Amino acid sequence: MNTTHEAGDSAYDNLSALLDGELSDQGARLAIRQLRDDPTRQARFAEYCAIGDLLRGQHEDLPGLTRKVMAALDDEPTVLAPLRKPREKRPLLWLAAAASAAITWGLWSALPSQESSAPLAAIPTPADVMPYLVAHQDYAQAVLTTPEMHYTRVALSGEAR
Amino acid sequence: MSPTRKHRFAAFSPQGIKRHLGRPSVFLGGVVWVLPLCVASAQAAPSPPPTALPQAEAAVWLQKMADAARHMAYEGIFVVRQGDNIQALSVSNRLVGQGDESRLVTLDGNLREVRCSKTGAVTLVSDGNQVRMEKRLSRRHFPDLLPANPRALLNWYDVRLGEPARVAGLDCRNVEVLPKDAFRWGYILCAERDSGLPLKAVLVNGNNQPLMQYAFAEVKLAASVGPSSNALKPPAWATAHPTLLPDMPEPARPVETEQIVARILPPGYVRITAVKRHLPNMPGEVEHWVFSDGLTHISLFLAPNSKPAHSVRGESARGMVNLMRRQVGGFQATVLGDAPWPAVETIALGLEPRK
Repeated sequence: MNTTHEAGDSAYDNLSALLDGELSDQGARLAIRQLRDDPTRQARFAEYCAIGDLLRGQHEDLPGLTRKVMAALDDEPTVLAPLRKPREKRPLLWLAAAASAAITWGLWSALPSQESSAPLAAIPTPADVMPYLVAHQDYAQAVLTTPEMHYTRVALSGEAR
Repeated sequence: MSPTRKHRFAAFSPQGIKRHLGRPSVFLGGVVWVLPLCVASAQAAPSPPPTALPQAEAAVWLQKMADAARHMAYEGIFVVRQGDNIQALSVSNRLVGQGDESRLVTLDGNLREVRCSKTGAVTLVSDGNQVRMEKRLSRRHFPDLLPANPRALLNWYDVRLGEPARVAGLDCRNVEVLPKDAFRWGYILCAERDSGLPLKAVLVNGNNQPLMQYAFAEVKLAASVGPSSNALKPPAWATAHPTLLPDMPEPARPVETEQIVARILPPGYVRITAVKRHLPNMPGEVEHWVFSDGLTHISLFLAPNSKPAHSVRGESARGMVNLMRRQVGGFQATVLGDAPWPAVETIALGLEPRK
């Protein structure tokens, strides 16, 4: 039964996506056409709408559907248990995850990083480059040692790869 | 079962997120998390920058600093800080006729000295028991950073007056010379209150983060600097080993025929030098061109090369010095300077064989 149920679920994936506004224009047109021609889909679509209304606290306007859906929910205690307070927990978790990521990124950025001075694509110092760095010191504002450089290969259009 | 799964997806859909963000309790919960980040950002934010000076007033400040570095006598010790490296140097400048002569000597690390006069500039390098003399193309050094006519800089830099400060026991005023575009770094100079001599210079990137700093630790100005000043005498190490190496490079000579042309230059940059020269530890001659906007200098080295290599990008720590090497016709072109990458890249990519 589960297999049949899941196969049936996947057949109606585009209904959920249609409700969530996740379909392209072409996909939405196809989903609406299927919905118009298929009474089973219409029933499933109404069920999805009812559950959405229930979760948004708008179930008072749909007493018949609410009772029907609540009965169905009672038959699925394990899966539905985490949804008893869906609107309080889910967004907090989502925001907490985003905030945690931001804090982690901030702390990571503030720490000294060995990698920041050593690019992944670093290559050895090219031959003959040091005399040029020394010669350019003619325009330095003091007598300085040549700076330590890191080198990477760059690809230019028309250049042999 | 299926509705449950569907709405789990829906909670993460754009509409679902919008619905959740629309609820006050959730919004407040988000604020609890995000507020500390906002506060941290606000604390890290720099204070509002001062307003750019009108051009006439800016030009006066720049000219005063440029003239002081050229036309007044001074001697002292300044410190250069570049990343984790710190170096101390003595500097002296004295007036000779209509011009000036200056000397720069390292006080730690390898012994080196720069001597500048109106006839040119050389670098003396101690090499064991001998002294090597190298021709130097530029005769400017700290605190002489600005060109003789600095007014043209105002096309590419804004000038702002910063806070008063104190450097080497003298009062000075911060003058910020900040770029208007991404093709040059900026300087924050501290001009001595009366003379305008820059007592401190900080090279800054586009975010006003310091890349290099020069600052006097001790300085004597004008009347206190006499012709018998110790700072103007040759250092003991130079007089003790007067022998010049036999392979002293010949002076640079002008480029006679140019086979490469720079089609595109960053705004404000012009070519100020094009010479053929021998470089130490390198066989043969190379062409050395220099492009400048008056404050920033970018070198181009052209060496004959019949075996093209891959193009290379080089970058120093903190990105102060940038380099690009590529093949242009029969030459290997190396462009480098204490300048942002866009400036170096623009020059390098604008090179073409002359047709």
